[in-house]
Amino acid sequence: MKDGKFLTLGIETSCDETAASVVADGRFVMSNVISSQIDIHTQYGGVVPEIASRKHLERINDVIAEALSGAGVKAPELDLIGVTYGPGLVGALLIGVAAAKAMAYACDIPLIGVNHMHGHIAANYLEHHDLEPPFMALIVSGGHTEIVNVPGYNKCEKLGGTRDDAAGEAFDKVARVIGLGYPGGPKIDRAARDGDPDAIAFKRVYLEPGSLDFSFSGLKTQALNYLNTEKQAGREINVNDVAASFQEAVTEVIADKAVDAAVRYSQKRIVMAGGVASNSRLRYLMEKKAGERGIDVLKPSPVLCTDNGAMIASAAYYEYGSGRRTELDLDAVPGLEF
Amino acid sequence: MKILALETTGKYGSAAVIDDEGRIFCASSGEEMNHLRGMILLIDEALVKAGAGKDELTHIAASAGPGSFTGIRIGVTTARTMAQMLDLPCIAVSSVEALAEGSRRKASDEGAEYIVPVINARRHQTYAAAYAADQGVKALTPALAEKQYMIEDLLEELKKMISGREGASAFFTGDGIDAYGEIIEDMMPEGSYLFADESVRYQSAEAVAAIALRKAAEGATVAYDELLPEYMRLAEAEQRLKAGTLSDRIRTAKV
Repeated sequence: MKDGKFLTLGIETSCDETAASVVADGRFVMSNVISSQIDIHTQYGGVVPEIASRKHLERINDVIAEALSGAGVKAPELDLIGVTYGPGLVGALLIGVAAAKAMAYACDIPLIGVNHMHGHIAANYLEHHDLEPPFMALIVSGGHTEIVNVPGYNKCEKLGGTRDDAAGEAFDKVARVIGLGYPGGPKIDRAARDGDPDAIAFKRVYLEPGSLDFSFSGLKTQALNYLNTEKQAGREINVNDVAASFQEAVTEVIADKAVDAAVRYSQKRIVMAGGVASNSRLRYLMEKKAGERGIDVLKPSPVLCTDNGAMIASAAYYEYGSGRRTELDLDAVPGLEF
Repeated sequence: MKILALETTGKYGSAAVIDDEGRIFCASSGEEMNHLRGMILLIDEALVKAGAGKDELTHIAASAGPGSFTGIRIGVTTARTMAQMLDLPCIAVSSVEALAEGSRRKASDEGAEYIVPVINARRHQTYAAAYAADQGVKALTPALAEKQYMIEDLLEELKKMISGREGASAFFTGDGIDAYGEIIEDMMPEGSYLFADESVRYQSAEAVAAIALRKAAEGATVAYDELLPEYMRLAEAEQRLKAGTLSDRIRTAKV
């Protein structure tokens, strides 16, 4: 406690971001340090787990120190430590978990293991200070594309998810195919702004009627086929058009299904989360389609969409408030479900 | 002086506390590769056995490798973070040297000339060294440098060192015995070698603590952010990038 505020440190190392943050009362970000490894992994065309693990170890302690000093807080003043224990890359997760446990033990601070996906949803509590459950959540990232009904804090009922590639994965794959490179999400978003979304007729994959699931793996094949056909016909390829058309096919289906879920469950709000929630076209379509049905769309600012420690701190705060405790034998769980 | 020493580079994790007089209080896990779940509990158990509080610790030592990459990271991260929070200096200990330290008395009692710690690094590779077998309390004297060896190359080196001598001269220890025992038996002259019992064959925080005590006395400490793993190997993708053979399999790793 400091100045009457409950202080939570959140630690996040599930993929290629080493992050730590101090959050007051579960809602107010006092510091948010994110050390990205993206420059290192770019030369390999994607995240290399062994290298990610090595870099997390080298950076984690400095990131924690910066988060504390940035918030003007000393470790013993913390009331709680929250750490992502899954899902994610096991070697990456365990750096955060080992550091969090050592810190909790050394300073006698309670510990909460946090589900990374609950963290992404909780990012919205940091952005919208009055937001409370219930609401519908749409999580779109490099590893996830999920529609989740959220009846209470950290209570998640998964209604649909991807059957093959996550949305972010599809962006990365198609970006590679059309030569935009890694990371695909932001690069396609940028290229699509100068392209025609109706130039190429990518299929909208809605699956069986009423399904809230997704399938994106066919889009890469479609993109490849299109490129081959054009090449054989000797036509020049407009990368911006391919990016815009592909992006439209992905984001339209996501937005339609998320709005459909909110209507069916009578939710008046849809909360967006995950790295792909930063995609400008998805944000636009969500607001348009939800607005037509009288549904509000909330989204965190881009810095809170990416993996960060603040969202983990917020989720930990509400877990702690519900009476849950994590013991010091916490393990990393790479395939953790909602 | 009270040093907390961690060992997580092998199959079984352990933590030990050593005091000025060299008394060691150790807690070991009976479960294989249980490092992440077990480490804090082992640390607490070792401190309770030593009757010491966290605030009485003066140094944190870790076996920094080589060995299991994941194991190394758990031990080093735990040590770094405890040292950061308790404002203590760190001591890095080689897992290979610690293996030798653990068998030092035994090797000397058996009349061996060299202790040869061998850690299995798969595909005939090892992390290994050789030290003079003595009863001493000072630092071990290296006879073969600690590095990566193909098991066959290591054995050729050892054969040169003991050629023409009578009796069992090389005392092998480490999980390299489990992996390459038959190769050692095939290549080494009969009666020229011994294998450590399973009770002392694997890494233990007791030996890490003993080496750490000597290093602390010499002032060989580092700040928490300078305590780094000794992997002895680049990540596979880094090796391939250097060699120009980075495969599509790695390039298409899920992100």
